Amino acid sequence: MSDEKQLSSEESLQLITSMINKAKNSFYDSGISLLLWGSAVSIAAFVTYLQVQYQFSIGFDIWWLVLAAIIPQVIISVREAKIRKVISYDHTAMNAVWITYAITIFGLVAYQNMIPSATDAILKNEGWVLIKHYTSGTKPDEQIRPFTLSVTSIYILIYAFPTLITGIIKRFTAMIIGAVIAYGLFIASFYTSFKYDMVLAGITALVCWFIPGIILRTKYLKLKQKERNV
Amino acid sequence: MFKELDPILHSQLRLAVMSLLISVKEAEFTFIKEKTNATAGNLSVQIQKLKEAGYVEVVKEFKDNYPNTTCKITEVGINAFEEYVKALQQYLNVNHK
Repeated sequence: MSDEKQLSSEESLQLITSMINKAKNSFYDSGISLLLWGSAVSIAAFVTYLQVQYQFSIGFDIWWLVLAAIIPQVIISVREAKIRKVISYDHTAMNAVWITYAITIFGLVAYQNMIPSATDAILKNEGWVLIKHYTSGTKPDEQIRPFTLSVTSIYILIYAFPTLITGIIKRFTAMIIGAVIAYGLFIASFYTSFKYDMVLAGITALVCWFIPGIILRTKYLKLKQKERNV
Repeated sequence: MFKELDPILHSQLRLAVMSLLISVKEAEFTFIKEKTNATAGNLSVQIQKLKEAGYVEVVKEFKDNYPNTTCKITEVGINAFEEYVKALQQYLNVNHK
């Protein structure tokens, strides 16, 4: 392609269209990450079903397989980044969605594993425990560690979801910080009762949306003022 | 009144580079070279002109121990490209009348 050739209007437009199409056709996804996670999660779920249905155990928690899939995923991501010559706008957006999704899933796994002991601690603090008592008297009493669903914790985790995605895509640091604080508050909410969960939810809404909102509003009003002065 | 076509953009290779960069977030030099079929020397000169005009941002770094150049369109470049397309449309409308 020469730099000196003088173009007519039609030729310029044709060139623009053809280069935009060339760029569009350069994006491809190997699909390997989808295959990896699709197979890891489905195998773990089906094996769990078979163990429950046919009363056997494979001797370890099959869901560790899903956790272990992070290692090949990191290798795949590093390799793909090395060979990638072009980054599209939707690549950044998709990355933001999947990163946030991964954080949310691991947040839920942590929630699922931490809640029984956290609930136990709260109950002990209040001075009581749950006991399973066998009326037949054949077995000794057992302490129950209940899984008390704290919906507010889940709400906090969900509040962070669009906040982090927006923050990454728009490169808006205030929202990224807001989401990180929300994840911290989500973990803190494991150990607090409903009353304090509400306080944490309120703080989450402030850091995720209200403070970024103030920043955006201030910028917007300054811009409007500038436009009026011109 | 016709808008004058931006001389920086009204050149085959520079317009091709800008059209590629407007469609992506960032692209490596090798990608642009491959898509435009330009020689490395010529492409370097034209990218430098675009950089001097403030239309593109050029980042030189090392990737796997090899020098790697990445180009990205700037806000100024986006505005200039939009103005260029608007001007082209004016010319085309007149030609088709």
